[in-house]
Amino acid sequence: MRILDEREKLLEIRNLKTYFYTEEGVLKAVDGVDLLLHSGETLGLVGESGCGKSVTSMSIMRLLPSPPGKIVDGKILFKGRDLAQLSQKEMRKLRGNDISMIFQEPMTSLNPVFTIGNQISEAILLHKDVTKREARRQSIEMLKKVGIPSPEKRIDDYPHQLSGGMRQRAMIALALSCDPQLLIADEPTTALDVTIQAQILELMNDLKKSYNMSIMLITHDLGVVAETCDTVAVMYAGKIVEYTDAKGLFGNPSHPYTWGLMNSIPRLDQNIEKLHTIAGVVPNPLDFPEGCKYNTRCPIADDKCLQQEAELQEIRKGHKVRCWHYERLEQLKKVH
Amino acid sequence: MAVESNALLRVNNLKKYFPIKAGLFRKTVAQVKAVDDISFYINEGETLGLVGESGCGKSTTGATILQLEKATAGEVIFQGKDVLSFSKKEIRGMRRDMQIIFQDPYASLNPRMTVTEIVGEPLDIHKLVRNKQEKKERVKQLLGSVGLSTEHMHRYPHEFSGGQRQRIGIARALAVEPKLIIADEPVSALDVSIQAQVINLLQELQQEYGLTYLFIAHDLSVVKHISDRVAVMYLGKIVEMTSKVDIYDNPLHPYTQSLLSAIPIPDPTINKERIVLEGDVPSPINPPSGCRFHPRCPHVMEICRGEDPEFKVYGDNHYVACHFLDR
Ligand SMILES: Nc1ncnc2c1ncn2[C@@H]1O[C@H](COP(=O)(O)OP(=O)(O)OP(=O)(O)O)[C@@H](O)[C@H]1O
Ligand SMILES: Nc1ncnc2c1ncn2[C@@H]1O[C@H](COP(=O)(O)OP(=O)(O)OP(=O)(O)O)[C@@H](O)[C@H]1O
Ligand SMILES: [Mg+2]
Ligand SMILES: [Mg+2]
Repeated sequence: MRILDEREKLLEIRNLKTYFYTEEGVLKAVDGVDLLLHSGETLGLVGESGCGKSVTSMSIMRLLPSPPGKIVDGKILFKGRDLAQLSQKEMRKLRGNDISMIFQEPMTSLNPVFTIGNQISEAILLHKDVTKREARRQSIEMLKKVGIPSPEKRIDDYPHQLSGGMRQRAMIALALSCDPQLLIADEPTTALDVTIQAQILELMNDLKKSYNMSIMLITHDLGVVAETCDTVAVMYAGKIVEYTDAKGLFGNPSHPYTWGLMNSIPRLDQNIEKLHTIAGVVPNPLDFPEGCKYNTRCPIADDKCLQQEAELQEIRKGHKVRCWHYERLEQLKKVH
Repeated sequence: MAVESNALLRVNNLKKYFPIKAGLFRKTVAQVKAVDDISFYINEGETLGLVGESGCGKSTTGATILQLEKATAGEVIFQGKDVLSFSKKEIRGMRRDMQIIFQDPYASLNPRMTVTEIVGEPLDIHKLVRNKQEKKERVKQLLGSVGLSTEHMHRYPHEFSGGQRQRIGIARALAVEPKLIIADEPVSALDVSIQAQVINLLQELQQEYGLTYLFIAHDLSVVKHISDRVAVMYLGKIVEMTSKVDIYDNPLHPYTQSLLSAIPIPDPTINKERIVLEGDVPSPINPPSGCRFHPRCPHVMEICRGEDPEFKVYGDNHYVACHFLDR
């Protein structure tokens, strides 16, 4: 019987390790990441600067600078196929076809010397058997879908002629022009103003529904996660420390880091006298502490945490946490 | 503008235009109206938050008050005197009372100076210490007040994390015992867990030294948390100014309303109504006629296209510039 979980696994990452071999030593940017993304879902990957979010996405896309970067262990199963084992030639077929990516800075995917129409048509021609005229017609259609006004005129603009928000839209149009099953969006709205961010997030949600696409959304903004994601993975120092659905994460954060993070953001809908703070700083990835990597900042760490790292374990249905003492956290929550 | 008896700073009709020059003779062909006739006040010991989207003129406002940029028109009354008419010498004296903290803790600290030199420099400039020993003691004390220790004294900026660098910048600003600190996006470049540390520090220091802040940021949640009152800027103008409670509970300007509704709330159980604005923020070079917000405004009326709305009081210390409220 498969009634329990009928959702189709689109992407499953198991124990992914991606290291950089630098002059100062081995930098364990991604150090045993496990993730699961179902068809038609949005998975949020959150965490502070340098925790390994982008390296995770670059590993999936197989776009790591190599050397110094290397996937040293683990599986990246996309519809059952291990991307970590594919040749670059096979990957090129997948990229921009089954999997597309958008970035914080649109100019990393838009070419400044070609018009946006040129670039989108090119992508369509590469992946679909259509005439040039038809490709141009579809490009205009795409620009219209992402909300660019008078697309039949804008199609002949160069990227620099568009505003920041419009460039972001053009990049999304380019990424979606081949109906990908998976869209990886790495901080797609971080550089934008909030009113423009609201437009882009709404657009991504609409497109997800109409295309039944899955999205992996990388961000450090918990507000964005709450408003767009079905499931969330919280990353700290190269590992996933908590994984669950959005309601579970915000309603019942069970890793001390997630809990600390949620309490340290000022909120528009609440009045707090004094913000909660997480002591100390993120550890240096060239020199992670022994045991649990959060032990240098954790309010409930003990000797066990200094020696040994916990596994990512299921503490209630669909809610996974990497912590020895998640039960103790409940007491701490009561005090605050 | 209402007269505030204990206003430490009062800005009246301040303008800052940047000329755009072109052609062989570098003729001025247009102007960027970065700050275009704004008025506000900050009471002693108070924090006024200044929010708005990128390019609306927040940093220019700060820089013009400090006279890092020359004002095009208007008055900046600090402790009862119009500082815009000050001589160079008087400006230097004024800088003791008004300090600035910048967004980028990386760019704003000289990489070739040690922490002691960075924090000690203003002490020398304003001759606030008599000898090396006194300077060392004072620097130690300043670092202590921002949560850094003596072991940090001889290190260089690159040896510090972003949050620590921001602390160094704050220690330097505090060195001259200023009355007013203009904080230009002091936490925007920091990670959330570090952001909270710096916000708490700024609040503690305010309590301890009775500081007055102009707190500039684009993050309305942060601004609401730290401010007593909030001013919302759009394209060179302040469109609304009131207490932080009112700005959130009773926003009157359509721009403030949409700005608030656009901010994602970290709680998936809240399903709020969102006002999604059409289009982008227009350019301050050729700002729209009449009310600058009219091309994006959901309540636009005929008068909005032609007439610039007056910045008027609607209720207790609640200032708004909007024709829709007078309909
Ligand atoms: N090409 C590289 N060479 C060496 N180290 C790298 C390289 N790219 C990334 N790293 C390191 O890998 C770690 C993880 O980086 P990553 O870019 O994944 O962080 P992130 O979570 O995306 O952070 P941010 O929120 O700042 O984008 C960091 O310590 C980073 O310095
Ligand atoms: N020195 C200058 N010369 C010409 N234009 C300038 C100058 N400084 C600022 N501007 C322009 O003035 C306007 C206001 O800029 P300002 O830096 O004050 O905005 P801001 O609100 O601080 O934005 P941000 O949130 O991006 O920091 C912008 O259009 C900017 O391009
Ligand atoms: Mg990144
Ligand atoms: Mg600025």
